[in-house]
Amino acid sequence: MSALGELGSLRQKKPAGQKKDNLAAYLFLSPWLLGLFLITIGPMLASLYLAFTDYNLIQAPEWIGFENFTRMLSDERLHNSLRVTFTYVFVSVPLQLAVALLLAVVLDRGVRGMAFYRSVFYLPSLLGSSVAIAILWRQVFGTEGLLNQVLSLVGIDGKGWISDPSTALGTLVVLNVWTFGSPMVIFLAGLRQIPAMYYEAASVDGAGVFGRFFRITLPLLTPIIFFNLVLQIIHAFQSFTQAFVVSGGTGGPSDSTMFFTLYLYDRGFGNFDMGYASAMAWFLLVIIGVFTAANFFASKYWVFYDD
Amino acid sequence: MRPLIPPTGRRLRALAAVAIATTLLAASACGGDSGGNSGSADGKVTLRFTWWGGDTRTKLTQQAIDAYQKDHPNVTIKGEFGDWSGYWDKLATTVAANDAPDIIQMDEKYLREYADRGALLDLKKADGLDTSKFEPDTLSAGEFDGGLYGLNAGINSFAIVANPTVFKAAGVALPDDTTWTWDDYTRIAAELTTKLAGKGWGSGAPGTNEAALNLWARQHGESLWTKDGKLGVSAGQVTAFYQNLLKMKDAKAIPSAEFISQDINASLDQSAMATGKTAMSFVWSNQLNALSKAAGTQLKLLRIPSVEGKSSANGSYYKGSMFWSISSRSKHQKEAAEFVNYLSNSTTAGNILLAERGVPPNTEIRAEVQPKLQPADAASAKFIQDIGKELGEPSPAPPVGGGQVEKIIQRYTTEVLFGRQAPDKAAQGFIDEVNGELK
Repeated sequence: MSALGELGSLRQKKPAGQKKDNLAAYLFLSPWLLGLFLITIGPMLASLYLAFTDYNLIQAPEWIGFENFTRMLSDERLHNSLRVTFTYVFVSVPLQLAVALLLAVVLDRGVRGMAFYRSVFYLPSLLGSSVAIAILWRQVFGTEGLLNQVLSLVGIDGKGWISDPSTALGTLVVLNVWTFGSPMVIFLAGLRQIPAMYYEAASVDGAGVFGRFFRITLPLLTPIIFFNLVLQIIHAFQSFTQAFVVSGGTGGPSDSTMFFTLYLYDRGFGNFDMGYASAMAWFLLVIIGVFTAANFFASKYWVFYDD
Repeated sequence: MRPLIPPTGRRLRALAAVAIATTLLAASACGGDSGGNSGSADGKVTLRFTWWGGDTRTKLTQQAIDAYQKDHPNVTIKGEFGDWSGYWDKLATTVAANDAPDIIQMDEKYLREYADRGALLDLKKADGLDTSKFEPDTLSAGEFDGGLYGLNAGINSFAIVANPTVFKAAGVALPDDTTWTWDDYTRIAAELTTKLAGKGWGSGAPGTNEAALNLWARQHGESLWTKDGKLGVSAGQVTAFYQNLLKMKDAKAIPSAEFISQDINASLDQSAMATGKTAMSFVWSNQLNALSKAAGTQLKLLRIPSVEGKSSANGSYYKGSMFWSISSRSKHQKEAAEFVNYLSNSTTAGNILLAERGVPPNTEIRAEVQPKLQPADAASAKFIQDIGKELGEPSPAPPVGGGQVEKIIQRYTTEVLFGRQAPDKAAQGFIDEVNGELK
């Protein structure tokens, strides 16, 4: 926006050079614009069209109106995938943010070698959504995995955490919580913004550690918490790689890790059901949109802007 | 490609011009590769050939391609290969993009899926493809609606694989597979589990793919699929199949639910059979070679048990382990057909490929290849030969949408093993879901 505004002001000052400037600007923008139109907007519009068709990838798409959407109402596997996704989002995001905030507060207290710790704690975020880590996860939580070996040292009989439908999703939640690095770094930046004098004043008034945290840190950090919450919820709804790799692409055992995105992929590429998959993609967009809007609406009641 | 948003002003029009100019620049910069896929004036033809499989297969197939190119200097064949899991996603997208390879290694599960949608060539109409030396039964699996859409590339059969080393360690004698019943099987497997004393289990679970259910159904006068492309197995038979599975579980003939659920996703090299954790398992006969290699010991194929203890009534049949198909949109159908003809009917290709894709369906090539087989391939070829007289009718190919049955049965088997669903409920769920996939 501001770039356009600048361009506009340039136009007023130097009408002669206007065309040249514009052209240069567009030329520099063109790689990004090309990507936007050809790789993002084009396929999005195509998928919006396909959402109203029966498209099996081989024959031409056939217009069927809202049939894909009405079909979602009675698709029990889709309902299950929604349950799995919601459970994942609403368990893993709060846990992840709590861990991130806790560590940020600890690191903010001026631990020696803070830069080192910050990097170390950030590392899982860089690796977390990679295929390599998901494969590692399978090893850690497998029947003969690291976790069971550790448990056996203290005399507990482990189990196949990933192959048991009742615990498989839990391992993915742990994986997501483990990638607390990026919200942590944002929390750290937020903590730095809180003026030290508030704490000093509170200490003088006799507030303890918890008092200071709940009366000063937490309220002043709410904008940052809100920002992280929105981002992480969107991120969690879109999770795909972890579940795909950990379950071997099946969403199993027994659909217990069948995220909505994974089911979408399975429908589209595994079942030649690209029309339905496109409809699902737009449904997910709506779900994420609704949650983000609700988040913004609710923020009025708990986010405190110190200005 | 989708058109850009209609330009509303001069600025946007300029933008579009720049965008187009950049595209052209980019296109000319990486051009020079065009025309590779079509025949040119000097009669040179490039064919694309795709298959799934491991290293051994890729090496052998490339050798066969090289030998063909030597004799046909005007034909270049580009191999495209990968793992089974990614293969179908990739094939679906290339076909959707009208960019299908000319020659496609096809599986029974997806044959109708592609053929019914007009993506595959009717090989009966293809010039230069001879099927006269094929064992007649082996053609029918790729035949429907009066056309031949997949040419059998090798014969296999569903079977039990046994690890003699584990049997010996447990002190259990190898059973007589011509007379054993399902109850015998469970009893022997349970005995193995007991004698292995925590070091392993008697058997893997049936129901980790649809083949065991198909044989069970055939033993009871039903069949997984019918000839007219419907689900042929009744809820009652699926229930009985799952009750038998639970019986095996209660007898500790098979491992824990968690172990089986993990084993379903394990690669062949890491499967319980390959690591010696199970004494027996359910496999396709042409996997004997790869499994023996992974296990580091010569494994043995046994017949599937039956209800009455008669191996001639165990429902076995010759299956096309895989098929050769040609894309209906191939620009070089004649050359592609000639190459498939070479793969299937020439001794040169036969001697290179041997029985890696299953026993050659061309009887002459089979006779030629037989003495050259490695021990494991020779054993599976002999097994195929031995059961020849006991076989029932060929099993109808899965209809469109039937390719999903493997994932579906895996899911319900897991539900039953974990006790989350009773056999009858899982059976009904299985039937409803498979029917929902058929179109």
